[in-house]
Amino acid sequence: MTTTPAAAVSRGLPNPLARARARVRGWLQSRLPKSDTQLLTQNNIYILPTKAGWMFGVTLLVLLLASINYQLNLGYVLTFLLAGSGLVSMHVTHATLRGLTLHLRPPQQTHAGTAAALELVLTSPGTARFGIGLRALEADASTLVWTDVPAGGQAVVRVGWVPPSRGRHAVPTLSAETRFPLGLFRAWTVWRPESALLAWPALEPDPPPLPAARPIVGGPSSTRSSDGGEVEGVRAYRRGDPMKLIAWKKAAQALETGAELVSRDTSVSTRRELWVDWDAAAGLGVEERLSRLAAWTLAAERAGADFGLHLPGADVAPAGGEMQRRACLEAMALWRAP
Amino acid sequence: MSTVDALVSRGGIGRLLLGTRWPGWRALPRDARDTLFLLAVIAWTVLPHASHLPTWTIALVVAVLAWRGRVAVSGGALPGRWMLVGVLAVAIVLTLVTFRTLLGKEPGVTLAVALMALKTLELRARRDAFVVFFLGFFIILTHFLYSQSLLVAGAMLVSVWGLLTAVVLAHMPVGQPSLARAGALAARTAMLGAPVMALLFLLFPRIGPLWGVPQDGGSKTGLSNALRLGSLAEVATDDSIAMRIRFEGPAPAPSALYFRGPVLTRFDGTEWTPLALPFAANGVAPRPATVRSEGAPVRYELTLEPLRVASVPMLEATTSVTPTDGFAPSPRDDLQWLLPRPLNERVRFHAEAQTRFVLGSARRGAETYEARELPPGFNPRTVAWARALRDHAANRDGDAQAYAQLLLARIRSGGYSYTLAPGEYGRDAIDEFWLDRKEGFCEHYAAAFVVAMRAAGYPARIVTGYQGADPLSVDDYWIVRQSAAHAWAEFWQAGTGWIRADPTGAVAPDRINRSRRLAPPPGFVAGALDAMNPELLASWRNAWEAVNNRWNQWVLTYSRGQQLAVLRRLGFSSPSWEDLALLLTFSLSTLALAGATWAWFDRHRVDPWVRQLERIKRRLASLGVPVAPHDPPRALAAHVRERLGDDGEALALALDTLERQRYGRAARQRPDPGVDRIVEVQWRRLRSQAGR
Repeated sequence: MTTTPAAAVSRGLPNPLARARARVRGWLQSRLPKSDTQLLTQNNIYILPTKAGWMFGVTLLVLLLASINYQLNLGYVLTFLLAGSGLVSMHVTHATLRGLTLHLRPPQQTHAGTAAALELVLTSPGTARFGIGLRALEADASTLVWTDVPAGGQAVVRVGWVPPSRGRHAVPTLSAETRFPLGLFRAWTVWRPESALLAWPALEPDPPPLPAARPIVGGPSSTRSSDGGEVEGVRAYRRGDPMKLIAWKKAAQALETGAELVSRDTSVSTRRELWVDWDAAAGLGVEERLSRLAAWTLAAERAGADFGLHLPGADVAPAGGEMQRRACLEAMALWRAP
Repeated sequence: MSTVDALVSRGGIGRLLLGTRWPGWRALPRDARDTLFLLAVIAWTVLPHASHLPTWTIALVVAVLAWRGRVAVSGGALPGRWMLVGVLAVAIVLTLVTFRTLLGKEPGVTLAVALMALKTLELRARRDAFVVFFLGFFIILTHFLYSQSLLVAGAMLVSVWGLLTAVVLAHMPVGQPSLARAGALAARTAMLGAPVMALLFLLFPRIGPLWGVPQDGGSKTGLSNALRLGSLAEVATDDSIAMRIRFEGPAPAPSALYFRGPVLTRFDGTEWTPLALPFAANGVAPRPATVRSEGAPVRYELTLEPLRVASVPMLEATTSVTPTDGFAPSPRDDLQWLLPRPLNERVRFHAEAQTRFVLGSARRGAETYEARELPPGFNPRTVAWARALRDHAANRDGDAQAYAQLLLARIRSGGYSYTLAPGEYGRDAIDEFWLDRKEGFCEHYAAAFVVAMRAAGYPARIVTGYQGADPLSVDDYWIVRQSAAHAWAEFWQAGTGWIRADPTGAVAPDRINRSRRLAPPPGFVAGALDAMNPELLASWRNAWEAVNNRWNQWVLTYSRGQQLAVLRRLGFSSPSWEDLALLLTFSLSTLALAGATWAWFDRHRVDPWVRQLERIKRRLASLGVPVAPHDPPRALAAHVRERLGDDGEALALALDTLERQRYGRAARQRPDPGVDRIVEVQWRRLRSQAGR
């Protein structure tokens, strides 16, 4: 098994060897079964000496040579004690991973370009495990997240992974590794979870202000069940109402009497509708446009207004609240130019 | 725990030294604690070198470790790379100045220690930490160049443990694992590795040095190949052990225990040296000594410390030595047993000796000529005195033996005294000693005796070696100390051969008969202890030496010969080193296979709770109860009640019990076999009902 991070790093190079390696690695990975739960056994744990391990070997050789040359029986004892410990450490390193169960919780959606936290649960049926590092296989070694697993218990680890683009992505191949206890060997496993992760479009960092809401052209309000009226009224809380709409004083009284939360009814005489509109972001590339729309969607939700999404070939009817935001972002994530 | 306690107290000392606010051992941040621990381990590892390192190295190590500890506690910045390079360059220059070379044991150890201390200032990456660990293991080995005693072995075992603990700590990146925890894990790793260590130690083929090891001067050795007056005095105060001897059968009397080392015939006025080796000069093989012996031979076993002399002090007169471990001492015609190279390791010989013997031929041989030479112009008064004695009317027709008796009588009655501190003698030392001051020890008497004999025309020579052994044997081993180093004389009697004459016996019979050495004044503590209870001190010493002897016999002298003996005991008829290698490979492969088998078995091991539930589910399924793979006992109980009604109530109750045992408030550690029994009984009952 040669799926090392080094190979991943060198993949971008136009080196035929690197390409070949990447291909072999891809093929090897594609042979791994996909599963959200993986029991680590001898079949899927790999182990090789680390650089320090080789150095240790050289040190042992030097110690042995010195013992032979100076005829030091205690030198032999020291050398062989270290050799024995090194050998045992290999088994301990392997056993640190062996028998662990890795489980991936359903992944949370996120914006492309921002890290998604993949929640992994490590379960040890037997002894305590120390110094287990997890990361996405392709990620740099510095992104390792370390954890211990208590005896007979579980540990939860959040591994960050940045989806490169919007859309549905398979959760990347993950790897768990350990060098415990002596760092002379590195045992690792490669795991392909089955779950997929939906990445919303990236957010434009400094979007222009939200376009003004448009008055509804005729027809009754389709978004509010309340009657129109000058006076601001209250109504029962509906799921998805933004926090700022809640009439806290009234809500407190209502809660005391056992009733539900109370929201302000912001009906106005002239109903206006807010549209996050593909056409309003003209003049940009497709992804940049979607980024701006995504930023506007968040702004619209923050503003507490009802809003709809208009994309060529896909519209989301106006509504408010978090559900609406998710619906809009999902539509954008999956949108393809007609 | 004691390690931790020791560290805490070290920390306390550190505070006094550093003047930094000490937050308390437990309140330290993890990094600081680990660094301090590593520094303590390094200090402990370097400590035994303190006595043989130059002062500047000690100062450097103390300063660097203290500074690093201060930085760890107060969180300052580490020095830059160039500063480190600068300090290292200074250390190298100082080493050069101190030793005039960078090669060899002492400069090597000095540099390694300096490097290790400086490396602690550069602990940035994991790689740096590993460099410290590996240097640490190397420094541990260098201690064994100086001493392989039990004490050093114990101290270094602690060092190895400390270093392994530090490595383990470095690989527990989460939280703040306790030192005790990491120490236990390290100890466990080492303990599990112990069988491999024992196996390798027993079976790894021992071979001789691969290349010449530079010899270091100034080492304490009992015997050298040359004798100057006064040179044995230092040896005589050295109480370390030169060899141990065990007799098969009764031990000869202490007065008969002469261990024959270099035989010194040439005398240049100040220094006595042996005759050139005959085979070194012309390539002729050495002529074996001719020994005419009387009585039964004494068989014995001699364990020799690394004395760094090529001449093996064997019991007089050893007639045959069984070659051991590739060491085959060959006898010279003056009965020295010589090795092809100086002895740098502990060796055990089996040999046979005749304590009553006459050496050499009765006819005058070549060696007797040189044994009559005296350098002209030295000791004229003694020469004149000796000739006068010979020419005295009463002694004129006497032979060598009669003349020797005259000399011994003179020593006995001439006002001579035995002392280890006779003071300095001048150019004509023998004159001064023999005729004026009359104070000296064995070498003075032997030298004066030989000079007088030669002056009178009788061949004579000095023999150096050891005489006597400790009066009490330690589990059958007699201990010969360096302080038993001795010089005596031999003269040639026409018609007989070489005859031993020990003039020291004439002046201090105790020295020979009871092997009582003249002891230098004891140190303060030993003196106080001795004054309170001399037996206690002696018994402690004996017990300690018994343990030490075991250590020597089992660990330090374990060599090729013993390895082959082990093989012979295992049933190999004529073992060779190929057999050793084969056996080692076989054992290691077996161990590896056992490890792999365990891992394989481990894979098939299932949680006993799961196993129990699976068993119960199989029973339930055969009763027709619907069973899903994910059903907990509670769900199974519900299924049983639903399917079997009141009939299955007992079974359902058992399942409820199982649920409580597994997940309830007082959950059990292991499955309860009682539940299994109930389920089994109920299952049989229900099945037989269904059958009817």
